[in-house]
Amino acid sequence: MNRAIVELTARQLLGQRRSLLLVVFALIPVGIALLYRFEGQQPNHVQWTANVLGARLIVGTLLPIAAVIFGTAALGSEFEDGTAVYLLSKPLSRSRVVLSKLLVAWLATGALVLASVLVAGAIAIRDIPDQGVLLGFAVAVAAGSLAYCSVFVLLSILTSRALITGLIYVFIWEGLMTALFSGTKVLSIRQYTIGVAKWLTTTSERTFAARLDGPEALALMVVMSILATWLAVRALARWEIGESG
Amino acid sequence: MSQRDEPAGSIYDLGYRRYDGPRLGRRHAMLSLYLFSLRGAFGLGRRTSSKIIPIAIAIIAATPAVIQLGVGAIVSSEHLHVIRPENYFNFIQIAVALFCAAVAPEVMGRDQRTRTLPLYFSRALLRSDYVLGKLAALWTALLFLTFVPQALLFLGNGMASSNSTGYWRDNWMDFPRIVASGALVAALFASLSLLVAAQTARRAYATVSVIALFVISSVISEVISGTAGGVWGQAAVLLTPFEVVRATILWVFQSNAESGSALAQADLPGYVFFAMLCAATAIAAWLVVRRYERIAV
Amino acid sequence: MTATTERETATAGAPAPAPAIEAVSVSRWYGNVVAVNDVSFALGPGITGLLGPNGAGKSTLLHMLAGFLAPSAGSVRMFGETIWKNEALYRRIGLVPEREAIYPFLTGYEFVLLSARLHKLPDPEAAAARAIRIVDMGSAQDRAAAGYSKGMKQRIKIAAAIVHDPEVLLLDEPFNGADPRQRLHMMDMLREMAAAGRTIVFSSHILEEVERLAENVLVVVSGRLAASGDFRQIRKLMTDRPHTFTIRSSDDRRLASALVSDTAVFGVELGSDRLTVRAADFAAFAHAVAKVARGAGVSLFEVLPTDESLESVFSYLVKR
Repeated sequence: MNRAIVELTARQLLGQRRSLLLVVFALIPVGIALLYRFEGQQPNHVQWTANVLGARLIVGTLLPIAAVIFGTAALGSEFEDGTAVYLLSKPLSRSRVVLSKLLVAWLATGALVLASVLVAGAIAIRDIPDQGVLLGFAVAVAAGSLAYCSVFVLLSILTSRALITGLIYVFIWEGLMTALFSGTKVLSIRQYTIGVAKWLTTTSERTFAARLDGPEALALMVVMSILATWLAVRALARWEIGESG
Repeated sequence: MSQRDEPAGSIYDLGYRRYDGPRLGRRHAMLSLYLFSLRGAFGLGRRTSSKIIPIAIAIIAATPAVIQLGVGAIVSSEHLHVIRPENYFNFIQIAVALFCAAVAPEVMGRDQRTRTLPLYFSRALLRSDYVLGKLAALWTALLFLTFVPQALLFLGNGMASSNSTGYWRDNWMDFPRIVASGALVAALFASLSLLVAAQTARRAYATVSVIALFVISSVISEVISGTAGGVWGQAAVLLTPFEVVRATILWVFQSNAESGSALAQADLPGYVFFAMLCAATAIAAWLVVRRYERIAV
Repeated sequence: MTATTERETATAGAPAPAPAIEAVSVSRWYGNVVAVNDVSFALGPGITGLLGPNGAGKSTLLHMLAGFLAPSAGSVRMFGETIWKNEALYRRIGLVPEREAIYPFLTGYEFVLLSARLHKLPDPEAAAARAIRIVDMGSAQDRAAAGYSKGMKQRIKIAAAIVHDPEVLLLDEPFNGADPRQRLHMMDMLREMAAAGRTIVFSSHILEEVERLAENVLVVVSGRLAASGDFRQIRKLMTDRPHTFTIRSSDDRRLASALVSDTAVFGVELGSDRLTVRAADFAAFAHAVAKVARGAGVSLFEVLPTDESLESVFSYLVKR
């Protein structure tokens, strides 16, 4: 890690309009949880919180969108703006650059999504014992943010169209393909995250089901994060300045 | 870098000449802008990396049709209609939204990013012509997703049928409906995504905002209609362009929403959605024109 | 520039065992397009101008020197080490990129401080302050870089590049956007650094800049190294094209007739108040003209080599 890069990236990511947009996105689950609390018709709060709020809204939508925005912007905006040379013309190992950028993207994504899931979850689940749903999703989301961000940081080094490529991964691959072909679940961070969340709850399969077993999901998540980060370091070492840059 | 002591100056005749020939004028300028933008939407004439994403998404949108035709060729069943034309949009809605997210910022913001906008505005083109040309380009590009695959599917199904003539006779009415629904869907997506893209020159903001408008809104709508009953659940379908489009397509095909779906729950007459779609398309287009008439270049 | 002006030469000394910058048969191609074609040179302390028309491969070459492009063939070495994928070398290198991009949310001081911190300097604040003083940006250092003019951005980028007092400074089109006063100041600054034994390479397509600043040039044309070395030396090497001098003397007509008979002279043209002489050999003519003038009893007021500018060298090389 490098403190100067961490501080720089924090200012880069948080000082922009897109973070404001993300705060609005993060409030959506809270709003829907309030609606559920006052207008909801499902009697099983744990089931609704786990499946609809947790799996669909948070893990299926907010988490990947926040991660793709922060993950591709952390390093990608430096390439786009032509400022990357200032970081790379320094006696710093590329792994430090990647790890510092990844750390900030992860913290930004994690903090935003965690706040959203905890507040919205607490509203929706009320005061009954929650069978570990809140804790399960909090941990899963924290871990899932890291896996997503490492993949999106890698993408931002490989392509100038990282944002849309990441969105295609999220919505076509994880959204459509995994719904149609079950085998693709081993390459779906969404399924890893849900697997980990399920692992930490005491809910029954009928209340909340995951496609991957907990240990399997966690192992895949760790492998994916490490692999993506390692590839990102390699790609950054080979990064060449573009014709315009 | 004169080395002489006294000032010296001369003007050389480099052979520049005034253009005295005919000028093709505004309509031709619009047509050129339209064709250039349409090619640009698919990255034609740009480097390879600009082509991959729009073309890949267009292929994804055609995949259901290709699979259906492929399966039909093998199984060769008269009654094999996995995909009804009015349901085709359900399979490709995400692809259409992603296409808009990828392409609208190229069609609309690119001239601002590369600072070529003043060049357009100093030509015969009016500012409103510029917007309409861009709108027509994105609309045409979207037809490759919302119309072309279905048209191919329709023709393919007919040709694969053992009784082609009978197939055409029974289903000929589908074709104008495919044309109409494809054109309407493309128009709504084109004008809404250009409206979003016109608000910012930065590609990333435009892409995220288009995704928010189409995809996030559909998730919200789906969750609300599945969560809350009563007026909340009914109104939820109005929150997202996807449902409005779905309902309009059903209306064009004179078909009913699947029971239990959000649209069935909303229980509104089809022409309401059709009117909403037309109004939204027109208002968004008008707002883009208004924005570009006021934009400082 | 006159032939009599003494050019300030930075350093002489014995060449170091490993030159600061060395390119050995470097080529770089993009697909089928060759941007840089088999270029070799070695550079030591002093100012070198990398000159060529737009698209000649200057930027590609400079980016290879900076370690931001891998040579497709050959190697680029700094102090004997390969620069590609060698981050540690940046301790000794400063780079001023061409694009004017600076983090818009940082002030000038913060930007230079960031550079100092990334270099892990022991006292980054002092180093940043020193670098800002050198480029004379103290008065604007606390303003956000987003509001800087092009010239100010250029200067703050130079401050960030010299904050660690590098032995090698690479600048890509450094004078773009600078006004004449800033340009002179920047040139003085670079001359001082060169005089202190630094190796400075800058690219430019503007001849005047290179001519005024660089004692050494690398001329790149269509990806190939067309010439390298002291540009007056290069010019002298090209004896197959006549040198032109303008001469003012006490009696031009008399001098003209005396010069016509000299073997070193190709042609003489008599103007209203000056004489234009074309000669084959620069050095031989310089000797001959004094002798001829004395023999003819004419006083020489001024002898100017008119096409000694880089422009003529350059256009000659491009045409060849």
